[in-house]
Amino acid sequence: MSDALHFASHRLQEVALLIMAIVYTLRLRWILKFPAGKERQAPTGVGSLNPRGSIIYSWFNIAQPWAMESTRTKFFLYLQFVVFHVGVTVAIGLSFVIPYGPGLLEYSTIVLVIQVLCFAAFIVGIMRIIRRLGSKAMRVISSPDDYFAVLLLTVWFFFAALAAPNNYAAGEAALLTYFWLTAFFLIYVPFSKISHYLYYPFTRYYLGKTLGRRGVYPIVRGNK
Amino acid sequence: MGKPRSHKAEKVLERLEKKLNRQIVMSLAACVHCGNCSSSCHYVLANPDDPTYQPSYKADQLRKLFKRHVDWTGRVIPWFVKAKSIYTDEELEELKDVVFGKCTNCRRCSINCPMGVDHATFNRMARGLLVSVGVMPEGVAVVSKDQWEIGNQMGVLKEDYLDTLEWMEEELQEELDIPDIKIPVDKMDCDVVYSINPREVKYDPRTIAEAAKIFHFAGENWTMPSEGWDMTNFGLFSGDDDLGGAVGRRLYEKTEELRGKKLVISECGHGYRSTRCEAPNWGKIDVPFVMESSVDTMLRYIKERKIKVDKNKNTERVTFHDSCNNARSCGLFEEPRELLNLVVTDFQEMYPNRTENYCCTGGGGAMSMSEYTPNRLKSAKIKAEQLKATGAKYVVTSCHNCVDGLTDLIKHYELDMKVTQLVNLVANALVIPEKVKEPEVEKVEVPVEAEAPAEAGDLAGRKILVVDDEPDILTFFSTVLEDNGATVIQASDGDEAIEKVRQEKPDLVTLDLNMPGKDGGQVFEFIRKDEELAETPVCIVTGRPELRRLIYDRPVPPPEGYLDKPVDEETLLRNVRKILAVG
Repeated sequence: MSDALHFASHRLQEVALLIMAIVYTLRLRWILKFPAGKERQAPTGVGSLNPRGSIIYSWFNIAQPWAMESTRTKFFLYLQFVVFHVGVTVAIGLSFVIPYGPGLLEYSTIVLVIQVLCFAAFIVGIMRIIRRLGSKAMRVISSPDDYFAVLLLTVWFFFAALAAPNNYAAGEAALLTYFWLTAFFLIYVPFSKISHYLYYPFTRYYLGKTLGRRGVYPIVRGNK
Repeated sequence: MGKPRSHKAEKVLERLEKKLNRQIVMSLAACVHCGNCSSSCHYVLANPDDPTYQPSYKADQLRKLFKRHVDWTGRVIPWFVKAKSIYTDEELEELKDVVFGKCTNCRRCSINCPMGVDHATFNRMARGLLVSVGVMPEGVAVVSKDQWEIGNQMGVLKEDYLDTLEWMEEELQEELDIPDIKIPVDKMDCDVVYSINPREVKYDPRTIAEAAKIFHFAGENWTMPSEGWDMTNFGLFSGDDDLGGAVGRRLYEKTEELRGKKLVISECGHGYRSTRCEAPNWGKIDVPFVMESSVDTMLRYIKERKIKVDKNKNTERVTFHDSCNNARSCGLFEEPRELLNLVVTDFQEMYPNRTENYCCTGGGGAMSMSEYTPNRLKSAKIKAEQLKATGAKYVVTSCHNCVDGLTDLIKHYELDMKVTQLVNLVANALVIPEKVKEPEVEKVEVPVEAEAPAEAGDLAGRKILVVDDEPDILTFFSTVLEDNGATVIQASDGDEAIEKVRQEKPDLVTLDLNMPGKDGGQVFEFIRKDEELAETPVCIVTGRPELRRLIYDRPVPPPEGYLDKPVDEETLLRNVRKILAVG
């Protein structure tokens, strides 16, 4: 392993993670400086859960594609969402496995699974780029941030798939690109739409708390 | 030096930061523009070629301000996240058309957003920001003004409200032949204080009578308040938390003053949501008594066998429309179904329903914004198809706003369907206990001067000037009034009206507002300022409620009557008789 690759896979990642942690801490402080509204109304509704139950329901709403019409009726899009986000998790995990647990990648099955998942996410990334560029409705709501984020992740998935075998003896280009992209990704995320996962627990917490107290959550829908 | 900014734009930005709370900030920051919300919006479904109806696009019109002025990336690289400031009053007007004209705050997109972004909540906030600088549809301004100043959103005067209650009480006594049936007002220490929608006083007083009938047979110890009776709250629609809190406070304080144990809210989606759920938050009030929808009250009466119902009295097929505010914001969707199944024989569910139901398209104050009516009716296509598929003869809803919205779209899409409410069905299904025969006693006849019921010809000898630029209205009003004995004079513009009122000195003038030449407001002011004519009763008739300011802004006494077009024969005669004290 060259010094450049060692730096990219160790020190660079640590610095990038540290920067991300600092920025996220600042971001959390920023979020918490806004007052949280107080709910004064009495609990209602036959379907009402206790606050904790409705908040948990809200957090895991996304894991229940049948719960929302938007995910129920567009199942293929939902599947893309799952593949894409599994890809993100795997590609991030890989950036820890390669420097700190490379032994895991000696099992060819594990490497294959990582490659399949990252490559599937790469394909979904391309589909998402096409959807965002090809649909008038999507173009209208898209900002440069939206295009750049999906492009960055798609390229990153591709290099994650190539880097998974961790075979630096056969050439370091893919590994170097993957680690530099990961570092950029870590630093860039808090400033981009990708940071939505930081907000997700908050938006879902408040929606769950409000709608649970009002008996709207869990969603009850009548059959056709 | 930066780009100059108008005073209003400056204020909007200043207030934006003050209005933000954590929930709204998160909703503004978290959108990933996935487009999943689009297909949940009835505006999008009815306008598939116009992407500007998408909830995320509409939300971005406020989000861009948030990003430019509050969020960090937008302040440093605005172009990258489409952050943008606002500078001119024209831009505020454009924002107004989006937040008032393209969204009913129905919250359907909110429950369909995978991220949990509550578009409806911050769309309301955007409305509030605009209202705070006076940028709003005329109808919103008029209704808000009425609710601030007169205490209810339809400008119903206290004496008219009390008259209507008295009238309904008399009707009930006559209909049921029960002289002691009452609509109590300001009775102390009651178990139930009943609050209503002013629409019931103006257009649908039978619902008050029917509720009274149900309370009577349930043996309820109830009352209606003489003030603070309007449970509707335009603050919900205008985004004005101050108005919202003040309206709620009026109801709560009156209920406390009467030492009422429970505040029952008649069937109205936004009224229920505002009064029970939101106003305590807007006004920071901890309400010490229980509040419930009249749907819960009626259901309880049946379950507790306080009243008996016979569902065979309602045999036509009915479907149920969930009001957005009831279902999506208050979880009130199973109770009306349970009640409905007890009072009708043929209930057909519409699809989708409950929290996934589509808006009636008249929500969010849309019925008072006539400038957006064509858009509203176009977007109502989705609802019309949903209704038609049920094959029902009646659509039942627990919301007065929905009654109007649905009635409008049923007419527009020529559906063979009528709108009704649960109170009507319960009252119709009510099994009236047979009267215990009283022992015969010798009665002493006391001659009393009976109040003559209104009948054809009772307007004989009355001279009425009908002023309207629409020939159809002139003909319709004239025919109805002449058939009832009145002498009718017509005028089709403001100048002619002034000439005729001078010459003829009528007993009553029905006055359209929007006319060529002098408008109705000018004619009205002329009449009021003329010493000889000042006492002439005037009934304003208009299809544009926002023009009411033409009347109420004038420094003269208000008109004796007010009618919204379209006016049917019964409403016209009832109001004319009332103003002329006939019948």
